[in-house]
Amino acid sequence: MIWWRGTIFLALVSWLAWGGGALGQGGFERAISSALPRSVKLYGLKVGQQVGYGTGTIVSADGHVITVYTLLLESNKLRVVTADGTRYHGKLVTFDREKQLALIRMTTVMEGDSAVGALPFFDIGCAEGAPPYGASCEPELLPGDWVVAAGNPFKIAEGAEPASVAHGVYSARTRLDARRKVKEFSYHGDVLVIDAVTSNPGAPGSPLVNLDGELVGVIGRLVVSNLTHTKFNYAIPRDVLRSFLLKALKLGDAGAIVEGEARSKLGSDFSAVDAGIRIARTGYMRLPPFVERVRRGSPAAKAGVRRDDLILSVNGHSVPDLVSYDKRMGRIGSDEPVDLVIQRKKRVITVRILPGDEAKKP
Amino acid sequence: MMIYKRKLSWKDLAIGVVFWGCLLAGSVLAQDSYELRRSQQERFRSVAAKLRPSLVRIETVGGVQPLGTGTTDTLPISPEEGRGDSPRRTQTPFRDAVGSRFKIADGPTTGVVYSEDGYILTSSFNFVVEPSIITATLFDGRRFVAELVARDQVRKLALLKIDANDLSVPRWQERSELRVGQWAIALGLGFGGEDASVTVGVLSAYNRMMGNAIQTDAKLNPANYGGPLCDIDGRVLGICVPMAQRPGELSGVEFYDSGVGFAVPKDRVDLIASQLREGKSFYRGWLGVVLDPSVRDAAVILNIADPSPVLDAGIVPGDRIVKAAGKEIRHFGHLVKTLYMIPAGDPVRLELERDGAMFGAEIKLARNIELGPLPNLAEPFDPTEPLPDVEDGETEGPPEDDG
Repeated sequence: MIWWRGTIFLALVSWLAWGGGALGQGGFERAISSALPRSVKLYGLKVGQQVGYGTGTIVSADGHVITVYTLLLESNKLRVVTADGTRYHGKLVTFDREKQLALIRMTTVMEGDSAVGALPFFDIGCAEGAPPYGASCEPELLPGDWVVAAGNPFKIAEGAEPASVAHGVYSARTRLDARRKVKEFSYHGDVLVIDAVTSNPGAPGSPLVNLDGELVGVIGRLVVSNLTHTKFNYAIPRDVLRSFLLKALKLGDAGAIVEGEARSKLGSDFSAVDAGIRIARTGYMRLPPFVERVRRGSPAAKAGVRRDDLILSVNGHSVPDLVSYDKRMGRIGSDEPVDLVIQRKKRVITVRILPGDEAKKP
Repeated sequence: MMIYKRKLSWKDLAIGVVFWGCLLAGSVLAQDSYELRRSQQERFRSVAAKLRPSLVRIETVGGVQPLGTGTTDTLPISPEEGRGDSPRRTQTPFRDAVGSRFKIADGPTTGVVYSEDGYILTSSFNFVVEPSIITATLFDGRRFVAELVARDQVRKLALLKIDANDLSVPRWQERSELRVGQWAIALGLGFGGEDASVTVGVLSAYNRMMGNAIQTDAKLNPANYGGPLCDIDGRVLGICVPMAQRPGELSGVEFYDSGVGFAVPKDRVDLIASQLREGKSFYRGWLGVVLDPSVRDAAVILNIADPSPVLDAGIVPGDRIVKAAGKEIRHFGHLVKTLYMIPAGDPVRLELERDGAMFGAEIKLARNIELGPLPNLAEPFDPTEPLPDVEDGETEGPPEDDG
């Protein structure tokens, strides 16, 4: 009798624990069990204001780790600690100045100098191995989707302690400079805005996964918005990571990828477009860009731009004043088309100025 | 064996039922927490998709110079107020927000279709810089020059009109149907791109800011001010606006992304929008009194603007304000917290005390441009005593200086 009742009791408790435990996990168990073992803690040199710790995301079985570039990675005492507490020596392979991404490599296990074994990783290159949970190469991600980050903000987790998990939803994909008045930041590509609180010291480089545990990005460098004075929670998207990784692996130890710099300096053979538009200027640079004159026969004239038109946007970027107009036009090469949105009296019209659409002067 | 000798009792039956029930529940729960998350995210996506035709991207061009570019920026609060003849008609609203200068938003913002015939609701916050041109882009790509019909500086709403007759009006949910803890999803177009941005939270409270707002912990910031706060079925709960318990066009910016956000619910929106539609703007209401800063625990009137609604009601300096709108007033801060949500033109019931006798007065709050100057005081103050802005009667600024 006691045996029979005891069994029922035990079964009851264990089933309750199992069911309740699963509910307690909140449905993020796939995400977390994928992100945690693929997240590593980084330790290196503390330089000035920069903290001497960080987080990385494992992207190959033999120990390649993507993270956000900081000076701590330049340390010759770079340490990488995996989720099971194993400590590895790390080495900076290469980094991209524009994207602020870095690739590091776990070299040997610190205790005993043995080689790096097969590690769980996110197959973002989709070059080898089966992606976790049968993931496709580009997981679907729409605004409103749950996302989970696993990293080591404030180096709360130590040794074999698992990283800290944060959850929220993916809000929007945008350019960082589209977020108004954020501080100057060299990365001008797309970012994933999330509503989880991830923007904390040590968190940049943390994997961000969807509900199925597929990597959708890594948490980006800390940026405080000048407008809101709040930290901006965002991730560098997976496609950007992939192109960085493939380039970095090809380059090997060749040093920094300086493509970003090269582009911002725009080389010596760059010449900005001359559409033939003269803008009204009074010396007050915050005036909206009104067209003062359109050169006869110029690409702009052919496209139908007229005097007194107000230019609202250049190639999709709003140009509220002369400064932003000049900046946008200065970035467009002479062989590129220019899309303008123009206000003419009460109408809003779109024109496309085609390059080289002007009879060359003899 | 022992157990077979015994007849099964109702107790054993009950235990059995509980056992199998737990077994079933356990396995269902284990599978369902993930499925629940999946279905939640499906719902979030579908809310965004359902509301997208009713969202309008609002862009502005021109306006006053963004702050932070000079050192002497003083901006009119509204065009008419800026044309006033007195220097106190201008102020520096941009400085009161977080104690430091910062540039005001100039990126795209969000609006919500209010009526099929071209009325669009958004936040007045988006027009603080007095833009010269406002454009509205519909989900199908059509772009219009929008007219700013009127705005409500108190509830931070604005009504725009475009020349269109086929707009998609979203469904609204009544405030009486709201429950604290229900999903609250904020949508915005401020990040650019075609998809609406989504932030998710719950409804934190349904009666804030003297009934003018509901509260959510979904992240709100300029990217979704003017946009809708929705429930899980895609019904609009309110229009997201920056708000705080103090006056000022930029009050509420201190709550960006903080988990404290506000939206104006349907009952208020309907009330306000019907008047905005007729071109009636709402401005901050003023009594026109200066309280005596030397009296610490009572609201004693020191000086009264002439003309002012308080003066018209026969109130004189020395009278003590005991109650306003039914709330006990003991100092300047109380008065601010009681009046900041009442626009000019609305009546306020004051209870006052003079020489030990109580009397009441119905005061219709005035706009600050309707207030006259303050008469000179017979005795000058001790200049070392910090005073609220005396020439202004009541000042725009941090609550402790305000009234």
